[in-house]
Amino acid sequence: MLFNYTIDGFENIQHQDYFALQQINDKLMSLYRSHGYHQISTPTFETYDLYVNEDSIPSDDLFKLVNHQGKVLVLKPDATLPVTRMAAMNHPNAEDIIKFSYETNIYRNFSSPEIIKKEITQIGIEYFGNDSPECDGEVIALAIRSLLENGIEDVHIDLGHVGFINFLFDDLAFSTKEKATLFKYIENKNIGDIADYLGKLALPDDKKAIILKLPLLYGEPKAVAEEMAALCINDKMRQVVEKISEIYAHLEVIGLSQYVSFDLGFTNQMNYYSDINFKGYINSCGEPVISGGRYNHLSEKFGIPRPACGFAIDLLKVIDYMEQHQLLPLDNETVHVILYEPTDKAGAYKLADELRQAGKIAEVFIIKTTVTDQVKTLHQNPLYKNARIYYLRDKKLELEKNAEFLCIDKIPTESEVE
Amino acid sequence: MVIRFALAKGRVAKKAIELLIDLGYVFSDYSEKSRKLIFTDTTGTIEFFLVKSPDVPTYVEKGAADIGIVGKDVLLEHPAQVYEMLNLNIGKCKMCVAGFENRPIPYGKKMVVGTKYPVIAKEYFHTKNQLVDIIKINGSVELAPLIGLADCIVDIVESGSTLKENGLSVLEEICEISSRLIVNQVSLKTKREMIDPIIKAFENQL
Repeated sequence: MLFNYTIDGFENIQHQDYFALQQINDKLMSLYRSHGYHQISTPTFETYDLYVNEDSIPSDDLFKLVNHQGKVLVLKPDATLPVTRMAAMNHPNAEDIIKFSYETNIYRNFSSPEIIKKEITQIGIEYFGNDSPECDGEVIALAIRSLLENGIEDVHIDLGHVGFINFLFDDLAFSTKEKATLFKYIENKNIGDIADYLGKLALPDDKKAIILKLPLLYGEPKAVAEEMAALCINDKMRQVVEKISEIYAHLEVIGLSQYVSFDLGFTNQMNYYSDINFKGYINSCGEPVISGGRYNHLSEKFGIPRPACGFAIDLLKVIDYMEQHQLLPLDNETVHVILYEPTDKAGAYKLADELRQAGKIAEVFIIKTTVTDQVKTLHQNPLYKNARIYYLRDKKLELEKNAEFLCIDKIPTESEVE
Repeated sequence: MVIRFALAKGRVAKKAIELLIDLGYVFSDYSEKSRKLIFTDTTGTIEFFLVKSPDVPTYVEKGAADIGIVGKDVLLEHPAQVYEMLNLNIGKCKMCVAGFENRPIPYGKKMVVGTKYPVIAKEYFHTKNQLVDIIKINGSVELAPLIGLADCIVDIVESGSTLKENGLSVLEEICEISSRLIVNQVSLKTKREMIDPIIKAFENQL
């Protein structure tokens, strides 16, 4: 017999959590639907080539397997790539506006001595065919509303733009290795080590001063935009400042700007982000729960050049937070349990069917031992904490209350019981 | 709102606490011998706790602490998603490969390395394309080459006196180590008005 059934990084979802997950899922999907998004689903497996050529996820983080034809497959490690491919395959007109939403599990084979979740439940949207600041604004607004709708108020979005650093570096002729090292330091806001590293490079002092300011470009959007404007050395950088300010202005118009601050210091791991990128945080929750951005060049790889912007929410992280803060929707629906003596079988089943027709939950059990024993067992079972127990005997219906049975004519409605 | 510090037990924590006291925070219940786990300053805006050094990045990454002070060696050995904002230039030392002086590192053949830092050692020898067997040792690493357990060791070296007393010496330097101030990625944004002045104050102390 096998005793160790658990696999590191994979978890069961308990019934209370799954109920909450479904409720939140429904809420989010109707939110996205109300903005014109269509829900879709892509296969659990993808080809290895799709990801290895993209260079966005380390090959070691992929769960790989070989199918009967010898083709290497991976468990879907990300949702954006397959959704983009699907949009490209089914909507060949590059001008089309396509708005998709999805709910999916993704799999990452993180190697770590600690137990990190390897199966991640994501909900997200992708908006194709629109390159305007209003499109970015809609995506960011939906990211914020996804949390607000669930009663989470401490929402915080960090908005950045990968172009600002990239366009600066384009003019500075760094080697790939130098770039990667600087990216890593900037991402970690490691100013001390940037200074040491720049000391070793042959670069004019004014350019070094600009790079040293990059990690500090975060905080109140208007102040950051001003600081950014002072650092621009080419037109492309100026366009970035303009664009990100326009998006912020849009968010001001729709009344969500208070949730947004800027951070130009992140260089996203997913290489396909070409433009803005953002992360959503909940204050007092140590890790980001939302990640998104614009990827205007990804669709080209599937033959259809088409701008796009989207985000994904790590749903289980959000649920963990909601559970800690008593925000989870609870399953309080009454379960009607009918216990019956063998002679009353027909009556019990008829009654249960009537309840179900009326949209209620009904269960029937035959009395095996004594009715008091059976009632006691049911009350001890946490799955029956919302149960209301009836006892049917000689065509007479009784309602159980504190282990006593009261004669009733019919099943009372919720309000009558109160 | 409270700013929480996670400090690595030992010399560095002592210096960090001195820095905090120099900055004007008063910890009335703190003494070195105290067995309390969490210390709060008299204004109730700063808390600190002392933990084993490898735990500092974990506390900060998960948001249980907003700021941590810990050696670069720990950050290299236990990488964490945190902002590494300041090099405090205290607790300075070097990560080195050490062995017998008259016996150079046997490159080209497989060798055995004893170390407290398997990640750093593996990374270093991998970039040199050197095959190694790494043996994780938790203390008195210098013993390993002496009794023939390992060809050489990877460890932090401050003065080098322990090495010298045992007839060993530094063969190669891997990198410089010093204490870093690390910050949780969310706290930096959401508690900015409290964290910024603290970082500035530390910066001015350097």
